[in-house]
Amino acid sequence: MKQYLLKSLLQIIPVLFLISVIVFVLVYCTGDPVSLMLADTATDEDRRILIAALGLDQPLYVQYFTFIGHLLQGDFGKSFRYDMPALPIVMERLPATFELAIAAMLVATVISIPLGILSATKRNSFLDVLFSGSSVLGKAMPHFWLGIMLILLFAVELKALPVSGRGTLAHLILPAFTLGTGIAAEMTRLIRSSMLEILNQDYIRTARSKGLFESIVVYKHALRNSMIPVVTIMALQTSTLIGGTLITETIFSWPGMGQLIIQAVNTRDMAIVQAAVFVVAFLVIISNLLADILYRVLDPRIKYN
Amino acid sequence: MKKRFAGIGLAAVLALSTAIVGCSSQPTTTTAPKQEQTSQGSTAPAQSDSGEKVLTFASGNDIVSFDIHDHNNTSTEAVHVNMFNYLVKKDRDQKVQPDLATSWEIVNDKTWRFKLREGVTFHNGDPFTAEDVKFTLERIAKDQKLLEYGNYKQIKEVKIVDPHTVEIITNESEPVLLNRLSRLGSSMLPSKYIKEKGWDEFLKNPVGTGPYKFQEWKRDDRLILVKNEQYFGDKPKWDKLIFRSIPEDATRVAELLTGGVDIAVNIPPSDLDRIEGNEGTHTATGPTQRVMQLTVRTTPGTVTENPKVREAIDLAIDEKAIVDSILAGGGTPTRTRVTPGNFGANPDLFGKALYDPERAKQLLAEAGYPNGVDITFSATSGRYLKDKETAELIQAMLGEVGIRAKLDLLEWSKFNETYKAKKFGELFMIAYANSMFDASLAFDRITTERGKGETDYSNPEVDQLLKDAEKNMNLEERAKQYVKVQEIIAQDRPQIYMYQMNANYGVSDKINFEPRLDEMLFADEITKK
Repeated sequence: MKQYLLKSLLQIIPVLFLISVIVFVLVYCTGDPVSLMLADTATDEDRRILIAALGLDQPLYVQYFTFIGHLLQGDFGKSFRYDMPALPIVMERLPATFELAIAAMLVATVISIPLGILSATKRNSFLDVLFSGSSVLGKAMPHFWLGIMLILLFAVELKALPVSGRGTLAHLILPAFTLGTGIAAEMTRLIRSSMLEILNQDYIRTARSKGLFESIVVYKHALRNSMIPVVTIMALQTSTLIGGTLITETIFSWPGMGQLIIQAVNTRDMAIVQAAVFVVAFLVIISNLLADILYRVLDPRIKYN
Repeated sequence: MKKRFAGIGLAAVLALSTAIVGCSSQPTTTTAPKQEQTSQGSTAPAQSDSGEKVLTFASGNDIVSFDIHDHNNTSTEAVHVNMFNYLVKKDRDQKVQPDLATSWEIVNDKTWRFKLREGVTFHNGDPFTAEDVKFTLERIAKDQKLLEYGNYKQIKEVKIVDPHTVEIITNESEPVLLNRLSRLGSSMLPSKYIKEKGWDEFLKNPVGTGPYKFQEWKRDDRLILVKNEQYFGDKPKWDKLIFRSIPEDATRVAELLTGGVDIAVNIPPSDLDRIEGNEGTHTATGPTQRVMQLTVRTTPGTVTENPKVREAIDLAIDEKAIVDSILAGGGTPTRTRVTPGNFGANPDLFGKALYDPERAKQLLAEAGYPNGVDITFSATSGRYLKDKETAELIQAMLGEVGIRAKLDLLEWSKFNETYKAKKFGELFMIAYANSMFDASLAFDRITTERGKGETDYSNPEVDQLLKDAEKNMNLEERAKQYVKVQEIIAQDRPQIYMYQMNANYGVSDKINFEPRLDEMLFADEITKK
């Protein structure tokens, strides 16, 4: 276990290095920040001065090594748009994104656990078909469409919830629901199949044959064991959530990382894009690692060699 | 079994602790007092619970920065004007009025003398003096790295005559100096504060002389300004201004419909009816400085080198139809880029369009292309209001007369790269604004020198007129020179102007709001009903 942990931690270094190359090259290839920054009236001379000031006249590899050199000192460069160091700007947005991601996860859990259990225990019943059907729908529904529909219904028509922004708990409900639905759909199906598998195990049959109440069999024996894969999936989903709130944050103008990344891409604010992708990548790696460990702790049959 | 129990327990603790971290970090980032937050919910914002007068705006993007010299963004300036003052300001008719300068005179061709208002203080209490004028204007006139440098390098130096008098000395004679000083990049900065505390501190806690002072800025979320009780002018009308950034159109409109904001800018034409039909909101529309145009190559070897082909393109396009069908009426056809409200405007060419498809076909035949011509037509997608739809309609209109345009729709940054590299084909569509409110800026790309590689247009008469007008301190004669240039361009067509674009606003019925030509959002011009 210790060896496995050490190995995993060491693997993070080349992965992050690879990410740095990819991010750098991609950002470099996709657009010219100087054109976007200068006014229509700028002359070629103005342009040349700005390019030199930003260090963009250097060869690509020189720019990359400068970038990496600064990175090793924890310096992600300066945001063109804000004229401030990029990393603090990104970190400033993390709490908002975390808040949304956790709320979405809560929504997903609250929906999926009862639905998953009901589907499994009432297999092939009307309810099972209904829930399976809606989980396909929930998975297929695009976030932007669902988000706008929720705004139209709950904010514009019913005037029950605020349209956008962040602040109170009420602001959190619609975006969390928008984001949580897709995950809930995925988790419902997972819980259902995991539960079905467990319900077919010998020890459940034994428990039933001993004459235990069905609810005790389901909730005490089956549920606990069927949660093992669910917990790991939750950990994995949390990581994708952090990077995946882009559209939802834009719709609800939620001031998190997703919105920051979209704005930064639009303005070719390289430093912000690089810092944000790095932070997201780091979080994904860490939560994957946590998921692995969790899985190992929950189910001792799994060995890492 | 025990171990499994422990595992689930561990997972629960982990999940819970992240939740707590997530939640507990919220108050530290949302520094706004609780009361403000609740007032932004579904309650009407024009009057919050505590009875204070709050005005809430929603725009498509956040302000760029508080570095007033290092951006060129009209929507950022629209917010800044509530915090900062210029030496001179433009009123609603775009006439120059005293602001921080009470009077001015031309000493000689290259020297202007300004008398400064006395008793003005910055939000931090520093008095406003000639030192601040020198500091502000010399910074932008000398630092080449600043994005507005190009518009201020004409200033050579600022001489302090006494604490309330300055002389601005320019490199050449400078007839548009007042226009320069009444626009973005000319906000007066507190020199003492910046010298003592540093630029970074200023960017975090900006200080101006304006009617509203900085309270809080949460990037990509909201900027909050509060009333400046010490303002030298009329008492500010609002207790608090909130500028919210809501990039998604549908969300911005929904916020307006539910009363979450009082004014929403940049409303898509398709949503105008909904806002009008909704109880409690209406729309407001007004002309802007932006003109949509086609830039045409006159480069030898291209089909558009032939003036008859260029004229045919002009005659093939029905500008009125574009404005009516795509922009829901939000625009005015024009044959010049210097629209009313600008110095040197030519009213004969405004509000007019030439549409004559039969004559266009005839011209093509006369030019030697009875079977039509093929051209490349590049346009942006998503940069201007309905640009993609407009380009597609233009392509169809050109096709009607036999001009087969290969339409190349580009995302803005890609478009911009090709644009700056001057690599477009016969035709590209772009919209320019004019923050200088002067004809000189409009003809920036028309001269032989600047047109090289783009239009390759060269007309010695135009060059001479523009050169003379640039430094002409006889304003009457100068205006005539620009009027003449517009006539020549309308004839030669290196650029074909199509329509002036309107700005659409959604407005709450609780307030009175009239859009300005310069798109500035002066809070004190907006009143409660």
